[in-house]
Amino acid sequence: MKLNLVKYRFLFLAISAILLLPGIVAMIYSTITYPTHTPLKVGIDYTGGTTLQYGVKESISNNKLSEVRQDLEKNGIENPYLQIINVNSQQDTDMKAILSIRTKFIAEGSSDQDKITNIMNQEFNAPELVQVSSVGPTLGSELFKNSLIALSLALLGIIAYLTMRFQFDYALAAILGLVHDTLFVCGVFSILGLFYDVQIDALFVTALLTVIGFSVHDTIVVFDRVRENLKYYSKKMTFSEIMNGSVNQTLARSINTSLTTLITLLALYFWGGVTTRDFVLAMILGIAVGTYSSIFFCSTLVDIWEDKKKSTTPVAA
Amino acid sequence: MKNKLILFWVIVAIVIVSIYVICTKPTKLGLDLVGGSRLVLEAQTSKTIAQITPDMMSSLQFAIENRVNKLGVSETVVQRTGDRRLVVEIPDVSDLEQAKAYLGETAELDFRRPVIKNGVEEWEATGLTGKDLSKANLSTNSQNGQWVVDLEFNGEGTKKFADLTKQLVGQPMAIFFNGEMQSAPVIREAITGGRAQISGGDSGFVYEEAKKMVDLLNAGALPVPAKIIEENTVGPTLGADSIAKSKVAGAIGLGFVMLFMALYYRAPGLIADMALIIYGLMLFALFKAIPVTLTLAGIAGFILSIGMAVDANILIFERTKEELKAGRTLFTAINSGFDRAFTSIFDSNMTTIITCAILYCCGTSIVKGFALTLALGVIVSMFSAITITKNFMHLIFGAGKLTHPALFGLRKSDIEEGYQAVETKREKAKFGILD
Repeated sequence: MKLNLVKYRFLFLAISAILLLPGIVAMIYSTITYPTHTPLKVGIDYTGGTTLQYGVKESISNNKLSEVRQDLEKNGIENPYLQIINVNSQQDTDMKAILSIRTKFIAEGSSDQDKITNIMNQEFNAPELVQVSSVGPTLGSELFKNSLIALSLALLGIIAYLTMRFQFDYALAAILGLVHDTLFVCGVFSILGLFYDVQIDALFVTALLTVIGFSVHDTIVVFDRVRENLKYYSKKMTFSEIMNGSVNQTLARSINTSLTTLITLLALYFWGGVTTRDFVLAMILGIAVGTYSSIFFCSTLVDIWEDKKKSTTPVAA
Repeated sequence: MKNKLILFWVIVAIVIVSIYVICTKPTKLGLDLVGGSRLVLEAQTSKTIAQITPDMMSSLQFAIENRVNKLGVSETVVQRTGDRRLVVEIPDVSDLEQAKAYLGETAELDFRRPVIKNGVEEWEATGLTGKDLSKANLSTNSQNGQWVVDLEFNGEGTKKFADLTKQLVGQPMAIFFNGEMQSAPVIREAITGGRAQISGGDSGFVYEEAKKMVDLLNAGALPVPAKIIEENTVGPTLGADSIAKSKVAGAIGLGFVMLFMALYYRAPGLIADMALIIYGLMLFALFKAIPVTLTLAGIAGFILSIGMAVDANILIFERTKEELKAGRTLFTAINSGFDRAFTSIFDSNMTTIITCAILYCCGTSIVKGFALTLALGVIVSMFSAITITKNFMHLIFGAGKLTHPALFGLRKSDIEEGYQAVETKREKAKFGILD
């Protein structure tokens, strides 16, 4: 298999645009229409919600926990956080454990609360609603802002290092590739939020960090090959030919590396726990698109810039 | 060859040490994975505070978070619940008793002056409090060697303190901490330098006492007194059911990755699998030895670093294959495969390490956990891919010509073409095959 990057360069840019555009539209639409004015539908980690605590007279098994979770989701209580609170033996009560259900804001005595109580009644023998209380966000705006600042600094660090080891062009292309991948993942989750009510939680930030790490890593390997080939072939071949050859040389590696990571993630997606499914999905999407961007998007960008540079520098007489 | 054997035994020793550490040290897992303790704090009204406002709760939450961070109790969740309560969830790994002792303390420091009221001597508040401090430090008195707490005031505090000491020359000034008098030195002259010292009175401070006071002062006073009203142990926030499933799924996933490596890269793939197992053991031992509290974010960093470790091996094998196709002997092909892959492994990993360092320094706790495990993972993976895999490859294949190309997933004709290329087109063989 041999790819022709130069011939189809605008096709690749067009594919990137097609990949990103719907998500960007969804994010703009969401920012305008959501009450939170966020580009993605945010979960209770960001907004806060309600915790209902039910005391039960038996200890709660993992299977029971899964059943309750499924029942809740079937009845329109999305993304509930279920946590077992063990009751101290010294306390004067016949309760063995408390099941804490954390979910979106629910008014006291509302139909949603009745639904949850009904489900608990089906699953347990006479559970007792011990407490209903509102909870604040675990990931407040302050924390979120700090993370963004840290991330921006990290990006500057990447640009500095790559400019030192390669050139500024390459650094910029790598960063644009990373933005490309992050935008794609956010876009898909924005769409999922609009149509399937998928909410992002604190883990989403971690997933994005992983995608960014992978994206840069992947791009550098391609650029490294270009750098090496430039040393030996720059007099005999055009930059485009070298770029094309380098991408083809690293193609097997790019695909295999993504494949191995995707294998692990797919296993986690299909057989892993429900609570981490969206987290894993974000990483799968990001790594898949990251492979695309490092092969097609970043290299095409550098190629086009090099062409521009050549056409603008006057030929020495 | 002798060096290679020595290195091999060094690797064996590292594996044994790693296994020993894994077996003897406990794994520290975060709240999201194993749960921990859950404390409910309730803000208390007092003489001066008649009603708890949402603003007070915000600053109480901030103060508690600040304290928890100062204590180094990692991966703790502080959450508001109801009108006047905070839920603090602390992972099992931390010292709960210590945490409890610190959380409830108001940490109010104030300076008082003597007044005579109705013929009785009393201490009156001066308005100079812990809020006026910029920093507290632990040090020892140079004369008697006792532990003391050094205070540094901020701009306004310096002024207030200077004014106060000017007024009180010749009189005692008392320092109260949480309503208890610590010491009451007699002021000899106005102090304008913005520094003061608390000694523990005649008996002096015990180290723990002084240390705690410094920590609390630096973390800031609680805006409202708070009391621990409930204490329970809790299961993982991600749900015990989900975690049990994910463990199995992760193992299946890794199994598939190893299978893929062996099938696609054949003999070197198997060697890489072995190196990966060693990599996993070393990294896990390192996590336990430091110790790192593993949360799901940390595990994401771990997974990514495994991906990068596999990638390093893939890079090397692809290059080795290319070198073999270009007509190199096994020994040189392996060596130059490693050498040529090295720059890309180095640069991509350096970028990751730089990113992690920045995220670790400036990030919040989720980001920190991720950055730490990823950085450790990447550092160990460089060692694993470059040192371990290379050593095993050399020991197993030795030097000489590759007699069974299938071991590398190559055809005989691939290699023969390479040998011809050496004779016909030297340059092509020298610098890979770019056509």
